[in-house]
Amino acid sequence: MEQLISNLALGFGVALSIQNLFYCLAGVLLGTLIGVLPGIGPVATIAMLLPVTFTLSPISALIMLAGIYYGAQYGGSTTAILVNLPGESSSVVTCLDGYQMARQGRAGAALGMAAIGSFIAGTFSTGVIALFAPPLAEVALKFGPAEYTSLMVLGLIAATVLAHGSLIKAIAMVLLGLLLGLVGTDVNSGVARFNFGISELSDGIGFVGVAMGVFGFAEIIINLESTGKEGDREVFVKKVSNLMPTLQDFKDCSGAIVRGTLLGSALGILPGGGALLASFAAYTLEKKVSWNKANFGKGAIQGVAAPESANNAGAQTSFIPLLTLGIPSNPVMALMIGAMMIQGIAPGPQVMTERPELFWGMIASMWVGNLMLVVLNLPMIGMWIKLLTVPYRILYPAILLFCCVGVYSISNSPFDVMLTALFGIVGYVFVKLECEPAPLILGFILGPLMEENLRRAMLLSRGNPMTFVERPISAVMLAVAAFLLVITVLPAVRKTREEAFVED
Amino acid sequence: MKIKNGKDFWAGAMFIAFGVGFMIIARQYTMGTSVRMGPSYFPTVLGGLLTVLGAVVFFRAFVSKVHHSINVFPFRWTLAVAGLVLTIVMYASAGWWAGLGKAAVLIQYGLGALALFSLIAAFGPKPLFVILTAVVLFGYLLKPLGLVIATAVLIVMSAWGGHEFKLREAVISFVVLAIFSVATFIYGLGLPINIWPDLG
Repeated sequence: MEQLISNLALGFGVALSIQNLFYCLAGVLLGTLIGVLPGIGPVATIAMLLPVTFTLSPISALIMLAGIYYGAQYGGSTTAILVNLPGESSSVVTCLDGYQMARQGRAGAALGMAAIGSFIAGTFSTGVIALFAPPLAEVALKFGPAEYTSLMVLGLIAATVLAHGSLIKAIAMVLLGLLLGLVGTDVNSGVARFNFGISELSDGIGFVGVAMGVFGFAEIIINLESTGKEGDREVFVKKVSNLMPTLQDFKDCSGAIVRGTLLGSALGILPGGGALLASFAAYTLEKKVSWNKANFGKGAIQGVAAPESANNAGAQTSFIPLLTLGIPSNPVMALMIGAMMIQGIAPGPQVMTERPELFWGMIASMWVGNLMLVVLNLPMIGMWIKLLTVPYRILYPAILLFCCVGVYSISNSPFDVMLTALFGIVGYVFVKLECEPAPLILGFILGPLMEENLRRAMLLSRGNPMTFVERPISAVMLAVAAFLLVITVLPAVRKTREEAFVED
Repeated sequence: MKIKNGKDFWAGAMFIAFGVGFMIIARQYTMGTSVRMGPSYFPTVLGGLLTVLGAVVFFRAFVSKVHHSINVFPFRWTLAVAGLVLTIVMYASAGWWAGLGKAAVLIQYGLGALALFSLIAAFGPKPLFVILTAVVLFGYLLKPLGLVIATAVLIVMSAWGGHEFKLREAVISFVVLAIFSVATFIYGLGLPINIWPDLG
């Protein structure tokens, strides 16, 4: 306990320095901005900013990027409630009841409750990270290559199970991602693989290009292809008054917030989890257990409080696998790994012992950032709403420009820009063929790591593949992965899984 | 046999193509043994798995209960064939172009780009190829022409790629964005990019 307090003190010392406060503020404001705007998400934004973070200190860079992710969760609810459009994919379910509340003239209470629920969830999940990350990292330090290989298998399988759509396609996407990750020089033999004689490819395919092409460009193209429905948006701008929910609202929501926070925190830790899954699950749970279930879909405040608490909790606890194991659980975390690598930090359990100021500074900054969001954002909601009146046809060229400058500045060469455009096409084809890109990105990041650990494990066991089942921790992880696969294929689970994702 | 699910059909074909492609290319590297895996080992295993899964998705397309048209995205045969022919011609005539001197190389590159462009434009809607062309142009123009002109090309062209193009709006957003990006990227962040064409 004393250890924890001194660690947190160290963390707050780092997070409260003027410079880091500034980057935290910049991150959460930017996060709210892109959260409010439909059509651009944290993945594209973080990819855009990765090259820029090169000029910052590692801790400032990570604080800012983390702020974008959880800031986006706050911003997404604003659009969902006022415009009935999810500003962020994780606020899809907030539209259901939030917009109905706005139509009943209770937009202020919905916005206020979403922010307060998010803050409570953010505070709790910061505590969860501080409590659970150190012991988990300690376990992880004892992992050998066999355990790491199995852990990555588990992480990737979990990511496919939780992705929507076809399971087989999701696994195929993971494999494709792993293969694309192998492009470039093989560390063991020095052979440049799959580079088609192009020297730029011998360092591997740039991660930023893949992420930005598949998520950023492809999304813009898809948005433009489905011809505009901008006309029928009804924005409840003038009706926002009295952001403070009533005492009755607090009484009604306390259970929903607690359940949302707990469920979100738990789901965020899972590989493949994060804000999106958390918000869906919390809404479904609340609809089943709430005393007010009859009102769901007609403006029940619990239907706003629960998913909004859950997505913020999930967004934050999804940092746990990243910080302790070095394994990303969703595309945003994959980008955070990219950011750490750019700064020369190898993600993994050793970060906590070797760079405690980085680890604890980041955790402390999350709480600080949440505080900033709740204090600053509520008064600023009017400004965010104004942004929604900017039409998409003006926004997307600007987004493209920032993406291009970001990609170009990675190595100051047009090659990366061309590669990104190429992955834009690939991403478009993926969407059209209903192949989820998120598992591909995770595979892409883990490809080289997995090959390296597999090689080492096999070398240590003298080529005996039984090593993966003979070592207990590794065996358990593989068993869990197999179990997840089996239950997903079972008809009953399959049916509910399909239903759960059809809801939007 | 009738294809019921066009999306699965193409997705399966894509996975098989990638899987087989990676396995074929991996053949030129050393395989190694399971104790000491060579650079070819892991990609071959993954490629094999991907091919198998691709085949499952591919054959599922014929028995699927979900129905999708085989025309998943707009496909223009004429452009695809033209692009392919041009690519082959350019590839075969590479030696002939090289003998013609410096100016000819530019024409060669231009025709090569045209071949690539028509291949991209062959499938996909207008936003796809207009926007991605604008992006690639931006990348290649940035160094010789500087940030301002490259931004103009990107903004105006990509705005034209959407479905509600207003020239006045595009020009205004170009001016605003050009000022903003010169201030942030060049003066603020100190990125090594020219503002104006490099005449020196």
